[in-house]
Amino acid sequence: MDATTRTTPGATTGATRGGPAVHAVGLTKRYGSTTAVDDLHLRVPAGEVFGFLGPNGAGKSTTIRLLLGLARPSAGSARVFGVDAADVERAHRLLAHVPADVALWPHLTGAEVLHLLAATGPGTDTAYRDELVERFALDPGKPARTYSTGNRQKVALIAAFATRAPLLVLDEPTSGLDPLMEREFRRAVAQARQRGQAVFLSSHQLAEVEAVCDRVGILRAGRLVEVASVADLRSLHRTEVSASYTGAAPRLSGLAGVEAVETTAPGRVRFTLTGPPGAALASLAAADVTALAVREPSLEEIFLDYYGEGGSGEQVRP
Amino acid sequence: MTGLAWRQVRRGALLVVLLAAGVPALIATTHGRVFADPADVAGLRAIAADPAIRTLFGEPLALADPGGFAVWRSGTVTAVLVGVWAALTTTRTTRGQEEPGRWTALLAGPVSLRGTTARHLGVLALLSVLAGAATAAALVLAGTDPAGAAVHGAGTGLLGLFATAVAAGTSQLFTTRAAASGAAVAVLGAGLLVRMVGDGVGELSWLRWTSPFGWVQLSRPYAGDRAGPLLLLVAVTAVLAAAALVAAGHRDVGEGLLAHRSHRPAQRGLLGSVEAFALRRCLRPVAGWSTGVGAYYLLLGLTAVSVTGFLAGNAGVADMAGRTGFTGLDRVEGFTAAVFTLLAVPVGAFAAARLAAFAAAESDRRLVLLAAAPLTRLRLLGAEVAATTAGALVLTAVAALATWVGVAAAGGGLALTDALRGTFNTLPVTLLCLGVAVLAAGAGLPAVTALGCLPGAGGFLLQVLADSVDAPAGVRGLSPVSHLAPVPLRGVDWTAALVMTALAVLLALAGAAVHRRRDLRC
Repeated sequence: MDATTRTTPGATTGATRGGPAVHAVGLTKRYGSTTAVDDLHLRVPAGEVFGFLGPNGAGKSTTIRLLLGLARPSAGSARVFGVDAADVERAHRLLAHVPADVALWPHLTGAEVLHLLAATGPGTDTAYRDELVERFALDPGKPARTYSTGNRQKVALIAAFATRAPLLVLDEPTSGLDPLMEREFRRAVAQARQRGQAVFLSSHQLAEVEAVCDRVGILRAGRLVEVASVADLRSLHRTEVSASYTGAAPRLSGLAGVEAVETTAPGRVRFTLTGPPGAALASLAAADVTALAVREPSLEEIFLDYYGEGGSGEQVRP
Repeated sequence: MTGLAWRQVRRGALLVVLLAAGVPALIATTHGRVFADPADVAGLRAIAADPAIRTLFGEPLALADPGGFAVWRSGTVTAVLVGVWAALTTTRTTRGQEEPGRWTALLAGPVSLRGTTARHLGVLALLSVLAGAATAAALVLAGTDPAGAAVHGAGTGLLGLFATAVAAGTSQLFTTRAAASGAAVAVLGAGLLVRMVGDGVGELSWLRWTSPFGWVQLSRPYAGDRAGPLLLLVAVTAVLAAAALVAAGHRDVGEGLLAHRSHRPAQRGLLGSVEAFALRRCLRPVAGWSTGVGAYYLLLGLTAVSVTGFLAGNAGVADMAGRTGFTGLDRVEGFTAAVFTLLAVPVGAFAAARLAAFAAAESDRRLVLLAAAPLTRLRLLGAEVAATTAGALVLTAVAALATWVGVAAAGGGLALTDALRGTFNTLPVTLLCLGVAVLAAGAGLPAVTALGCLPGAGGFLLQVLADSVDAPAGVRGLSPVSHLAPVPLRGVDWTAALVMTALAVLLALAGAAVHRRRDLRC
């Protein structure tokens, strides 16, 4: 039998399996005196798209290695639909993975890699795979050694999305993709969600996470510091607004969502805005605004802004 | 950048320099003992003059001289050692770094691809010079004629330089390290074969002028000390190195001069399971190693009749041969038994290299996609071990077939079953190599190839050294090769074979157990 034609019921039965898609209890990984992952408790239900955020070195990839059984936890446990992550033969029938930095066998063509991964993986929908090859504009006839970073990533993404595994574990899967492919990626995630597949998406791209995730967890220095819905995450956003005006200074202090008002020069004001901008814009309009600049802070800035004060007191690692 | 190159080669370099310098010097010191008895001397001269022995060891130029004796006994081995090491180290540090993209960041700096290549070649050239200088110095310290020592040292070092230049060239031609290494080793192998034919067949002795190994021999260390052939070697090496550097300036990073097909239809054979895939990756290496092993044993088969016929007619010489380390050589079975015991060296190295490739797939993260599939660690490792074992069995059978064909072509009589018994007798040592390599790869240790070669190549070297210096039997007994019975001359030593096989299985099981528990590096 051609192994690539195998399909598994996969997602449809995901919810009926032994537990949540991902369940970490007290998950800890120490390398000598360094603690990469520290007492992580996490529960991702079947069918949810979960964003796993954090700056570089926060422990995202280590957590995924523990989840995949590539590394053994120093303490605690990780389970995939109730199956111990260390039992890879059973746990990996329920998941597909895209690593952060995809390395392929240089002599195999893209098509051959896809064939191998379908034959060894948890079951593949070959018709959907062929559709994904078209959508991601992959040339599958080229040897992997000639692929760019983005093309190698596409091969792994196509292989993972084409499975019907009820959990997709994606580690920074779009870092090498161009904006068009990034859009295809978001579509593929949405389709996976429609099929009931859970997606565990590690990223440090806030826009991507906002676009596709139901909930996010924020990891810092190996500790999970926040698990929130994306709506809650949006409320963390503080947009920085700068305006130049010719009229009287706008009255901004006290308006809802406006903070840190600062006059940077005569006729110039800067403030942060959270939530609906209507009141602030009305106030600015009265001041005859001549220029307006709105800058969304980077994820890093949000981390610093939100956790630097009143948090655990630790600094975000560079 | 030269520091980077040095860091990658220093350990292997130390070992090669020690062996290249130590082995001839040790043999030179045994000269007085071997030459104490005039009857022995006559016997040795008779053996050395035999065309078949000339084929293997080269022309005996100055056996009466301690240095000349050492050159005859060890010159070919050390030249091959230095040459192959220099070639493989060159492809490893140049194409082997460029292929996975490790040079990209390096080349973003002010130094060009040509400059980077030149700096690496400089370090590698220095090491060959060092090996040659150490060889000469050790031979002088062993009390041989300084002029002869200088010529032999220069020849050894120059052969290393030649190999580096050839490998630098193949690294420009091919996009992969494997292809570059294979081509460079093939050039050296062809050169050695040409030298062997030139030495073995009187009418073709001019052929030696077409081979770098021939030039080294024609420099006649301790027997005239001629610089001409060495200057020819210098000139050819310089031309090759210059061509490689010119080529490096005219190609794109990551590409080779030989165009490769950028597009091809999918070949889906042997991609259906992790075991099949391991076998698929094994096919090319098995074909390459089979060619080398087959050619070598074909040559030995062809010479077997001549050597044994000569020894059978000279009982005294045969007796003497027994005392200088060649036992039972007056029958084809005895001669082939002696050369079959060497088989564990290349086949063990093949096994070690395959497990090293498995370890490399882990460290450069190719293994992640398979490790994320529903496959236990045991299956991932087991697939590799199974494919490697199958490859080793093929190589072992190829050696027997090649020897059988060679003996038959030369008009001798060796049953194919005897040839097969002889080569498969070495399997326990090959399995020991595999066992050590599995343990090394399973535990995530560096230098899997070197560790896996210890029972085979290491054991063989230990035995040669122990024989050369009359070391106590216990030292010789440490070598697994010393426990192989001379099959087909005599029967298999089943006790030793079973003990070694059991030990190999235990090592592999230990490797699998460690591999199952540890964190993968990908």
